[in-house]
Amino acid sequence: MSPMTTIAKREFRSYFDSPLAYVVMCLTFLLLGLAVFFYRGGFWQIDRASLQLLFEYTPVGLSLLVIPVVTMRLLAEEKRSGTLEMLITLPVSDSDVILGKYLGALGLVLTLVLATAIYPLAMFGFPWNLGALDDGPVWAGYLGLVLFSAAGVAIGLLVSALTESQSVAFFITFFVLLLAWFAQAAGGQLSGSLGGALDFVCFQSRLDGFSRGLIDTRDVVFFLSITVVALVMSFRALERRKWS
Amino acid sequence: MSPDVMISANGLTKQFGAARALDNVSFEVERGEVVGFLGPNGAGKSTTMRILTCFIAPTSGTAQVQGCDVFEDPLGVRRSLGYLPQRAPLYGDMSVLEYLKFASEIRGMDQGAFKKRLTNVIDVCGLAQVLPRQISHLSHGYRQRVGLGQALIHDPPILILDEPTSDLDPNEKAEVLKYIREIGKDRTILLSTHNLSEVEEACARAIIVSKGKVVADGGIDEIRGRSGGVSYVVAIAEQSCERGAAPKSAEVSEALSALKGVKKLRELPSDEQAHRFELTGEHSEDLRAELFRAVVAKGWTMLELRRDALSLDTVFRDLTRNDERLDRGRTAPEDEQEPSSEEKG
Repeated sequence: MSPMTTIAKREFRSYFDSPLAYVVMCLTFLLLGLAVFFYRGGFWQIDRASLQLLFEYTPVGLSLLVIPVVTMRLLAEEKRSGTLEMLITLPVSDSDVILGKYLGALGLVLTLVLATAIYPLAMFGFPWNLGALDDGPVWAGYLGLVLFSAAGVAIGLLVSALTESQSVAFFITFFVLLLAWFAQAAGGQLSGSLGGALDFVCFQSRLDGFSRGLIDTRDVVFFLSITVVALVMSFRALERRKWS
Repeated sequence: MSPDVMISANGLTKQFGAARALDNVSFEVERGEVVGFLGPNGAGKSTTMRILTCFIAPTSGTAQVQGCDVFEDPLGVRRSLGYLPQRAPLYGDMSVLEYLKFASEIRGMDQGAFKKRLTNVIDVCGLAQVLPRQISHLSHGYRQRVGLGQALIHDPPILILDEPTSDLDPNEKAEVLKYIREIGKDRTILLSTHNLSEVEEACARAIIVSKGKVVADGGIDEIRGRSGGVSYVVAIAEQSCERGAAPKSAEVSEALSALKGVKKLRELPSDEQAHRFELTGEHSEDLRAELFRAVVAKGWTMLELRRDALSLDTVFRDLTRNDERLDRGRTAPEDEQEPSSEEKG
């Protein structure tokens, strides 16, 4: 096993050694269930065999709760407690550390995302059969969620790499993702290039197409670019300790 | 560079903003040596070790560990050494066994190799009882041992230990030192501390740093001799013995000062039964044999003869005197303790 997979495995496992992962998972599912089925009539009000609401609310939950909580400690806690020194002085490269941590955290987020597949399976398969589901938009929606999670976790990792405090990391990640989510709503009030720019970086509008079954290369490239840029910057942030 | 040089630092300088943590530090450590890296807090010990383990990079200068350069082959460097950072920062959420396994997996050891080494590490570091326990529940002494175990898991030829005994109670300290001596039999060890008695106990050679500079480097006795002399304490029994009359204080004083190499002589307070004198001898020359023969020749009874162990302490204070207020409190408050309080004559 390469050092990277070892780190990823440890990271993923360590979530389950604390109550944190369980609390976040339960809370997410509870809130998601309430939102999808009961908020403003929810799924029943729409009265169609569609999971559009699921794909509308899941990213909000991921942005505002799951991703900040899961990523906040990745590097911040290691720096604070000094375990980073122990880890890095093992024969691992800085990129192993960054990618290992990233994959560990992303693994947990994706587990959560995939667990939401219980909804379509239970609602349109066994035990209830609420109608004929068009599964194209479901697949596309999940692809969107995966790409979105990849970008969100990378941003969280970057923030965690820049601070030594978990709580600071949590709030910064929370606000960055919050802004990215509602950028379009803010941009709607503005005209001109600023409004256009806000519209461009808005996660919500980028995900919109996916949940309707539309896979736009521009959106795919957008999320992948954010992921790569955030990872490279995290790598640089980690490397900076050498020279400061 | 001779193949026996395991660690070599050449002109290491490290600048933290305006502060210069290391200033042109150079030294070499050869195969099989156990070297004490001494200095007050903030003198640059940890910085040097972090450079040697490629955690940080020097501002200028370079270092090699077993032939691997810290700039060119950091992974090679880290592969050939085991490192225990200050305060043994371990993942508290793992059990001891999990942690050791984690370290071995990152080092690319397979299951079989790990099992083989594990028995040895458990043995050397005394971990048998705590293996299944979670690290966050262990005492500091045990954590320190787990840290040692982690550093030893791949059987490295070189060990770098940063203050392995800080934070420990005297029993734990003695235990860790025992392990270090054990481990040091077939390895090269660089060990940092600000406690002199530990160096005397575990190391044959010491490098003393102060304010980022190497101020002394050599055998323990050699360094001890640098205070301008070595002091001896001699006690001669007062009552008469078979071969002569009871010696008088003046006689003893005369006989001792007549010895070659004795620079200063001072009578010490003593109980009624002995004349005690403190002598200062020429630097590193050992006068104990001479003293013994002289006393025997006179037919007196020698009750005590020792070289003063405290003199290393004196040298250390002399060498690092200007360091006092520098960066104190930056690391650990318990480091304030006076080393002499733990010294015994």
